[in-house]
Amino acid sequence: MFDQKKFVVSHAPFLHDESRISERSYNIMLAALPAVLFGLVHYGIPALGVVSLSISSSIIWEFLMNYVTKRPKSIGDGNAALIGLLFAMLLPATSPWWLVLTGTFVSVVIGKQIFGGIGGNPFNPALIGIAILMVSWKNFFDFDDALLNYDLGFIMVYPLAALKHFGVSAVDSFTISDLLLGRQIGAIGTTFGIGIIAGGIYLIIRGFIRWEISLSFLAGVLITALIFDLYDSTRYAGPFFHLLTGYTLIGAFFLATEDSSSPVNFIPMFIYGAGGGIMTVLIRNIGAHVDGVVFAVILMNIANPLLDKIRPKAIGKGF
Amino acid sequence: MNSEKELKIVYSLAIILFIVGILSYAAFPVKIPDEPVRLMFKGVAGNVLFDHKTHTTDSGYGISCKDCHHHPEEDETDLRACSECHHLPEESKAAPQACNDCHEPDEIEDSEFIKTSDAFHTQCISCHQENESGPEECAECHAMQ
Repeated sequence: MFDQKKFVVSHAPFLHDESRISERSYNIMLAALPAVLFGLVHYGIPALGVVSLSISSSIIWEFLMNYVTKRPKSIGDGNAALIGLLFAMLLPATSPWWLVLTGTFVSVVIGKQIFGGIGGNPFNPALIGIAILMVSWKNFFDFDDALLNYDLGFIMVYPLAALKHFGVSAVDSFTISDLLLGRQIGAIGTTFGIGIIAGGIYLIIRGFIRWEISLSFLAGVLITALIFDLYDSTRYAGPFFHLLTGYTLIGAFFLATEDSSSPVNFIPMFIYGAGGGIMTVLIRNIGAHVDGVVFAVILMNIANPLLDKIRPKAIGKGF
Repeated sequence: MNSEKELKIVYSLAIILFIVGILSYAAFPVKIPDEPVRLMFKGVAGNVLFDHKTHTTDSGYGISCKDCHHHPEEDETDLRACSECHHLPEESKAAPQACNDCHEPDEIEDSEFIKTSDAFHTQCISCHQENESGPEECAECHAMQ
């Protein structure tokens, strides 16, 4: 026990290394940029409208909440803008303006501000916004219906909806490279696999997100989908299909890794991530919803405080 | 970066993006092409996603417009959406509004139109059977569950 390496902390005064929350928020936004730009190129001005309105209205909602609750202005930390961007990435490009405004209100006000602002939210705010919209106006999240007038030169069918409604044979024509290169329809910022993976790796290297959560989430999706596929490959799609469609990648790198709603200890991070991945495939394969990432991550958000109880014993304490 | 600079960045971001957002929605509404790319037929038996473009283009099935849009017979430029005429007659038994665009009310003898779903079923099924290709089961077109 006495051989343990311990952190050595010097006495105060400490030197601030100038890092701020805003650096973190803008870096995450930067990492998301390739996927967002790809969506803008595909879906054009309507997508630009959704993304712009979502980011700006998130900032405005937080500004108004700061004003109403008489708290210091917190919009400078960029977290509201980040919530707006992540929320927009999950929407179809043709979402009406009122859907965007309602969603950012729910995300910022109900998902974050009423819990006391940044760090106090038990759920990922962007996911709370999207989940409430998905339940309230599910027709707007039918990507096949939302993107009827687009013809981008590849299979214009939402892969997860095709799988859910028409079975594995309907998604045979999607190749892994197509899915990786974004040759699939979906939400604005979720279709460009390589872009999201590159953004995620950047965030992991810079230390803004924890690799344990992202990798265990992806492993959870892969292994669960593989088990289903091995059990009956005529009914259940393969693991890489699940990995590269819907919200899986953005969920693993940008949604499940949100700070205050994810665990901080080593083992809990694995359980949290893997649980999210497993739930995602369970919801997709045997649940009612087309995609399961939103509800899977929110469910694991609920489990987060309990999971974080698994932690090293404090030295000197009996039990 | 201090907090004042941070606030300035966020204020500018919010103002610029808000203007861009409003402009995008107001000045560039989602374009609906004259000839539909895909259509979603909605119904209680499950929605049907119909790929209009694949059915009509030469690289697809190359079906002529007139094979489905059968009225008016002479004028190829005035094709109408199926549901404009094909819906159950209202209680007044009046002909669909689309008829009155060209006809006088007393000109219209038969105002009994088959409803949209029957029209689609007849049209789609007969053509697919004739060509011995395409979906056969309900769930191959209708998104059930």
